[in-house]
Amino acid sequence: MRRLGADGVTVAFDGLTALSEVNLAVAPGRITGLIGPNGAGKTTLVNVLTGFQAPTGGAVTLDGTALTGLKPHEIRRKGIARTFQGGRLFRDLPVIDNLEVTGVGLGQSRRAAIAEAEAMLDWVGIAALADRIAGTLPYTDERRVAIGRALMGRPGYILLDEPAAGMSAAEAADLAALVRRIALEMGCGVLLIEHNVGLVLELCDHIVVLDSGAVIETGDPAAIRASEKVRHAYMGTAAEAQMPEGVA
Amino acid sequence: MSARTSVARRTLATPLILSALLIVFALLAWFVGSKPFNQTIIDIFLRVILVVGLYIFVGNSGVISFGHAGFTCLGAYAAAWLTMPPMMKQTLLPGLPEWLTALQLPYWAGAGLAALWAAVWAALFGKILMRLSGIAASIATFAMLAMINTIYSNWEDVTGATSSVVGIPIVRTVWPYLIAAILAVFIAWAHAISRAGLALRAARDEPTAASASGIDLPRERLIAFVVSGAVMGMGGALFAHSIGVVTPDTFYLGLTFITLSMLVVGGMGSLSGAVIGVLFLSVLIQALRWLEAGVTIGASKFALPNGVQEIALGVVMILILARRPSGLMGNKELGWRRAGSVAPDVSGQKQPDLSKGVSK
Repeated sequence: MRRLGADGVTVAFDGLTALSEVNLAVAPGRITGLIGPNGAGKTTLVNVLTGFQAPTGGAVTLDGTALTGLKPHEIRRKGIARTFQGGRLFRDLPVIDNLEVTGVGLGQSRRAAIAEAEAMLDWVGIAALADRIAGTLPYTDERRVAIGRALMGRPGYILLDEPAAGMSAAEAADLAALVRRIALEMGCGVLLIEHNVGLVLELCDHIVVLDSGAVIETGDPAAIRASEKVRHAYMGTAAEAQMPEGVA
Repeated sequence: MSARTSVARRTLATPLILSALLIVFALLAWFVGSKPFNQTIIDIFLRVILVVGLYIFVGNSGVISFGHAGFTCLGAYAAAWLTMPPMMKQTLLPGLPEWLTALQLPYWAGAGLAALWAAVWAALFGKILMRLSGIAASIATFAMLAMINTIYSNWEDVTGATSSVVGIPIVRTVWPYLIAAILAVFIAWAHAISRAGLALRAARDEPTAASASGIDLPRERLIAFVVSGAVMGMGGALFAHSIGVVTPDTFYLGLTFITLSMLVVGGMGSLSGAVIGVLFLSVLIQALRWLEAGVTIGASKFALPNGVQEIALGVVMILILARRPSGLMGNKELGWRRAGSVAPDVSGQKQPDLSKGVSK
C-alpha cells in the first residue's frame, strides 16, 4: 500500500520525550492534518519524517520500506518534500532560481530545472514573481514560493509546516485552494501542520492531534470537532476561538 | 516556453570583461618593456590565479579557508620535482624516486600535473573537512596548512626542508601567466554557473533548506574544494617558475593573508570581486612602493618614509571594509549592462563571517 508513515516514532532528548510512539500515515492524493498546542511535537515529527531528526525509537516508512539512516537530501530525492516555518527561501537568489535549486538538487540539468521552475511558478500562480529577489518578497508570496520550491520534481508527499501562519482570512482561503489542488491535481499526499484549526478542519480528510508528544486523537473533521480530549488539550489556548462552529 | 537565454550566454560577459582587463595589464607590461615592471605584472597575474582559486571555494561555499596556500605549496614543489634538471635534483633532493629524478618536463606540463597533484590532495583532505561547517571548517583548513608546511619544512631529502630549492627553470615572459590567469577566471566562471556552483551558493545562506531541496552539501563543497585546489596548485607551479626558487614559508601565513585580504576587499561573493581586489590592491601596493623609493618632481626628490606602504595598505583596507563590508563588488558581477541581479539592501547579508554584524 502506498503511504508515508511514522510507525511508533519516539524521540527522546536526554530525559525529555518530545515524541512517544507516534503513529501517523499520509496517503497519496489525500490531505492529512496535524494539529496540537504549542510544544506538542508537531515540528519534531516533521523533522523526523524528513530525516532532519533521527528517531530514538520506531521508524519512518515509505510504502512499507524503512527510511532509517537516510539523510535529508536523500529523503527529498525519494519524493518526500517539506516547507519550513518562516519560509527559509534562498534570500539572495531570484524566485526562479529558488525553484531551480531544487531541480538541480534532484539531479536535473540547469536547463531542465529552469523549464520546470517556470512551469511550476505558473501552476502556483506566481509566474510574475520569477525575477524578484526572494528576500524582498512579502510574507504571503514567500510561502507560495516555498511551496513551489517543494513541489519541484513532483514529490509523492509534501509536508507543509504552518503555511498559513500570519495570513489574513482571504489569504488563508487562497492557500487552502492551492493545497487542495496539490492533492487533487498532482496526486500528492499532503501533511498539513497548522495552528489555524479552522483551516485544518475545512481542508483535511483525516486529522491527527498531538499533545505533549503523544497522539491523543485521530479521525475525520467531524470526530475531531466533537472530541472532548481535543477540546481539553486546547483549553486555555483560545481553542474555542480557533474552532469555529460553522466550518463545514 | 523558455524565453530565457541559456545561463552560460547570460553570464559570459563577466569572464570576457575580466579577461580583457587582464590583457590590458599584459599589454602594459609589453609596451613598457622594463624588466622590473614585467615582474610586477607577472606577480599580479599570479595573485589573480591564487585569489580566483580561493574564490571558487570561499566565494561559493561561504566557508573561509585559511588552508589554500597549502595547495599552492604542493603545486610549487611538484613543479620543482617535475621541471628541474636531473643533475640539480640529485644533489638538492636525493630522496626523490629515480624515475622522478630522471624526469624533466616543460614548465606547462609540470604546471598541469601540479594542478592535478594539488587536486588529489584537496580531494583527500576535503573528504574529511567538508563535513564541518563555519568556524570549525575554517580552523581545520588552517590545521591542514600547518601540516603541509611542517612536512615540507622537514622532509629534507624530498623537499630540501627549509632551505631554498633552486634551479627551477624561470619563465620571464608575461604571456603564460596571462593565459593561466584567464584560464583560472574561466574555470571559476564555469564552476559558478554549473549545477554544483548554484547548489553551493544556495546552501551558503540556507543549508537546511538546501538539504530539504535534495542538495548533498558535503559533496558540493568537496567539488568546489577540489576545483579550487587544482587552480591553487597551478598557481603554485607558475609561482615557482616566476622566481626559480621555492621555500615552504613562501606559501604560508603571508600568502594566506594577502590572498584572503584581496578577496575580501574585492568582494567574497563575486568572481569579478576576486579579480578587482587583486588589481586594486596590487596597483596600490606598487604605487606606494614607488613613492617609498622616491619620486623626483622638478629639482626636489619626494619620498615616503619606509614602512608607510604597509601602514597605508592597512588603512585603505579598513576604510574599504568600513564603507563596503561586502567588498568593492559586493555580490555583483561585471556585465555589459548593470545587471542588478542582487538588490543592494540584501547584498551585505550574503557575506559570511567577516561582515556579519556590521551595519551599513
